[in-house]
Amino acid sequence: MVKDYVPLLILAVVAAGFALTNIGITLVVGPWRPTREKMDPYESGMTEIQPPRQRFPIKFYVIAMLFLLFDIEAISFFPWAVLLRPLHFSGFIEMFIFVVALLIGYLYIWKKGALDWE
Amino acid sequence: MYALILNIPGPNDAVDTVIESLVKSVIALLLLLASFGYLTLAERKILGRMQSRYGPNRVGIFGVMQPLADGLKLLLKEQITPREVRTGVYLLAPAISIFVAIMAFAIVPIGPPLPWLGKVRVLAVANVNIGILYLLAILSLGVYGIVLGSWSSSNRYSLLGGLRSSAQMISYELSLGLSIVAVVLLAGTLSPMGIVAAQNHAGLSWFILLQPLGFMLFVVGGFAETNRAPFDLAEAEQELVGGYHTEYAGMRFALYYMSEYINMVTVSALVTTLFLGGWVGVGNGILFTLTTSAPWFQLIGVFWFFFKTLAFLFFYFWIRATLPRIRYDQLMWFGWKIMLPLSVVNMLATAFYVSLS
Amino acid sequence: MIPLIVTTIPIHVTAADYGAVLPELVVAAGVLLMLILDVFVPRAQRLQVTTATSLLVILLSFAATLHLWTAGSASAFYGTMTSDRFAVFFDAIILLAAALAVLLSPSYIAVSEFDPGEFYALLLASAVGMMLMAGGTSFMLLFLALELLSLSLYILSGFERSRPRSQEAGFKYFLLSSFASSFLLYGMALVYGATGSTQLRVINFCLHGLGCASTVASSPLLFVGIGLMVVGFAFKVSIVPFHMWTPDVYEGAPTPVTAFMSVTTKAAVFAAFVRVFNFSLSGVESHWYGLIWALAIATMIVGNVLALTQTNMKRLLAYSGIAHAGYILVAMAANTPAGITAIAFYFLVYTFMNIGAFIIVSVLESQGETGDEISTYRGLWQRNPELAGATAVFMFSLAGFPPTAGFFAKYLAFSAAVQAGHTELAIVGVLTSLISIFYYLRVVVVMFMQPEGAEKQGGLIPAAAQWAIGATLAGTIGLGIIPTGFFNYATQSVDAMRAVFGLP
Repeated sequence: MVKDYVPLLILAVVAAGFALTNIGITLVVGPWRPTREKMDPYESGMTEIQPPRQRFPIKFYVIAMLFLLFDIEAISFFPWAVLLRPLHFSGFIEMFIFVVALLIGYLYIWKKGALDWE
Repeated sequence: MYALILNIPGPNDAVDTVIESLVKSVIALLLLLASFGYLTLAERKILGRMQSRYGPNRVGIFGVMQPLADGLKLLLKEQITPREVRTGVYLLAPAISIFVAIMAFAIVPIGPPLPWLGKVRVLAVANVNIGILYLLAILSLGVYGIVLGSWSSSNRYSLLGGLRSSAQMISYELSLGLSIVAVVLLAGTLSPMGIVAAQNHAGLSWFILLQPLGFMLFVVGGFAETNRAPFDLAEAEQELVGGYHTEYAGMRFALYYMSEYINMVTVSALVTTLFLGGWVGVGNGILFTLTTSAPWFQLIGVFWFFFKTLAFLFFYFWIRATLPRIRYDQLMWFGWKIMLPLSVVNMLATAFYVSLS
Repeated sequence: MIPLIVTTIPIHVTAADYGAVLPELVVAAGVLLMLILDVFVPRAQRLQVTTATSLLVILLSFAATLHLWTAGSASAFYGTMTSDRFAVFFDAIILLAAALAVLLSPSYIAVSEFDPGEFYALLLASAVGMMLMAGGTSFMLLFLALELLSLSLYILSGFERSRPRSQEAGFKYFLLSSFASSFLLYGMALVYGATGSTQLRVINFCLHGLGCASTVASSPLLFVGIGLMVVGFAFKVSIVPFHMWTPDVYEGAPTPVTAFMSVTTKAAVFAAFVRVFNFSLSGVESHWYGLIWALAIATMIVGNVLALTQTNMKRLLAYSGIAHAGYILVAMAANTPAGITAIAFYFLVYTFMNIGAFIIVSVLESQGETGDEISTYRGLWQRNPELAGATAVFMFSLAGFPPTAGFFAKYLAFSAAVQAGHTELAIVGVLTSLISIFYYLRVVVVMFMQPEGAEKQGGLIPAAAQWAIGATLAGTIGLGIIPTGFFNYATQSVDAMRAVFGLP
């Protein structure tokens, strides 16, 4: 029912209004006395030597990828969870097979060291 | 009352829905903002007491005016925008953060449905039948505010803090989601109202009793999701200065701060809804039955809801005062190698039980 | 107060559904098993254990296909999948090719230091995709199967990470092929939009005027959808003008992978191609006949002419593969049971002769750095007469000389075209085959008549490769001399599919 979602839309407008108003206020309120040092990126008081946007460890990409994998599986559990009662035991068996396949993949990445963070 | 003023013909009117949701939205917003303000004070007071000091006590009696003073100070400070930031994203990121935090609270029912002005009204901003799914979607969006803010700051501390923080959040989101699956299995519905109703049986039917492991997983996941101690690595002062909000000052920083506390409130409210029986009080069904009582008496449910939520928030502060921050490799190890398998096992065990019943 | 969601579940998946996909299930279980073996078996025994297990899995799956062949057609999972004999016939071809590729791999893996478990897991995963593709009777399943087989093959093509050519192959294949997949998907979506179903049987009925308005057949959606689908399929089986990726990928990919994919992707995708076009869209033959006709002629000419100038054996075989796709298109354009039978039989033959040729490449490759250059074959007759003899047989068969199987396969394809009244296709086919004799025989000439430049010693041929050569050789010659039995199987498979589609 679309009607159920009208409140969410209205809350979204209210919340967005609140957030953007606050950001807008920061642009007009308060003093504005820029100096060269003040506008530097914060570097614990040191002069910045290299620009900060550099390559970062590949571990983060791996984690993001694994998250995508597992999160999509997790989402597929939800409709099943709602309907498990009418599906009875066969529903459990089906998902059990799926989970076993998933766990084999999990075991594999574990043994491969994708989850280690040295 | 407004029905009389605006001369609204029937309770099912579209205008009624719009006004009701508008009122609820504003109330929710004010509620969250007020709780943010006083949670900061409560946290400082409680931490202070736990560490044998007073906490703020200068502004007003017991420091009750402290949040207002802080807010005013943050509002009037210079809003430093460093030279190399990507201005558009930099300004938008905290707004995204607070927007997502407010939206997540929308589906939490804070009390039983009450008849008022000719219609039974739900005490949640929205009552959607896929509320839990919506919640997970919104919680996932929370990462955006942090990632975008950290990236657009052009600062290595921000970037590193943001990366860590997002990796942490997505890692714990998995077990968080799976522990919710177990609750959904027991309740057989994705509607938060339905989940509370499923716990509204006679005797002890709160899901914390049926799902002790799921409850623990959810609590740990919730702590990690809100970047709170002992998982507050994103803002580990010793190594990362302020984490992802290093380059934010004044009100922009306040928005991040606000969203963190609002997220805490949401997680506490969710713990209450999913595991602690929501608005259902202790002894319901034995001493009395809420749903059949008079409407005014049902308001006691709102009290129960706030009581449980605040108790859990106290737990948040208590943990912060008790536990040291864990190391990053331990954090990832714990999330992926302990939490995830446990939550899968918990889900399967629950499914086994449910499929046989 | 809040009504819990009460739902009746209309889905009943029974054991019979799983029975119909038994071969695929066995191989899929094999994929998972491979992953486990890869991390739990000690490194020293890993290669032997995973190779043996993959062969065992393929054997089990083959047994399951034999069972399905006798069990008769069954539609499974609400019409998304069928186990008719056509699907089973192609399943068997794919499994055969997979087994040959597995026999070929150990020596290659040992040299290149691959992770054997990963390699075999991906190989088997792509085999699952191919088998599902051969049996899929719904656009949804066909596309998923195509993605499964393609994704596995992208990785396999680029598996030799340390070699830039392999990286290039994987990346090129990935970019171009995923682009083609989107064409196919878009075409499927449009056909679905026109006919209102993703099920091939329902679409077939619809286009014959059953349960649909008669205007559907002339709808522009259908027309555009068919065109896009042809592009998608044509890319995957490397039909001109969508063949550009083939030589580069075949050359760069590890040779066992090339051997495997050169046959099986074509077999699986052609099975689906035929099922979709010759059966499901048979009601609108006029929409696609011209397109297939033109593609067949272009493919035969371009494939054979470009093969003339190749100096690299893998590239030569790639262009030869393009040309063979053209011959198969001729049979497809005939659009008669005889034509479809010719396709099924052609793939059985092609499996033996093409993989056989690749095994030789692989063996020579393991003996020297430039193993895939044709110059390596110089003086092979003196060095290793058995190998040279086998190569000659495969080349003769690919060129279509009697009494090898290649002749019979080509004959069936062209005669089907002539019977259907497309003599021009057969003429082009025969003429381009004449061109092809030149480059196939060049290899033979190099082997027998040119003395080798430097003094080379023929290395040892691994036992597994010897078996594989023996098997392919037996197939290539055996199917040429006594083709009747397997030809009957091909006929039966096509009959089974026609029965499934309810055509007269």
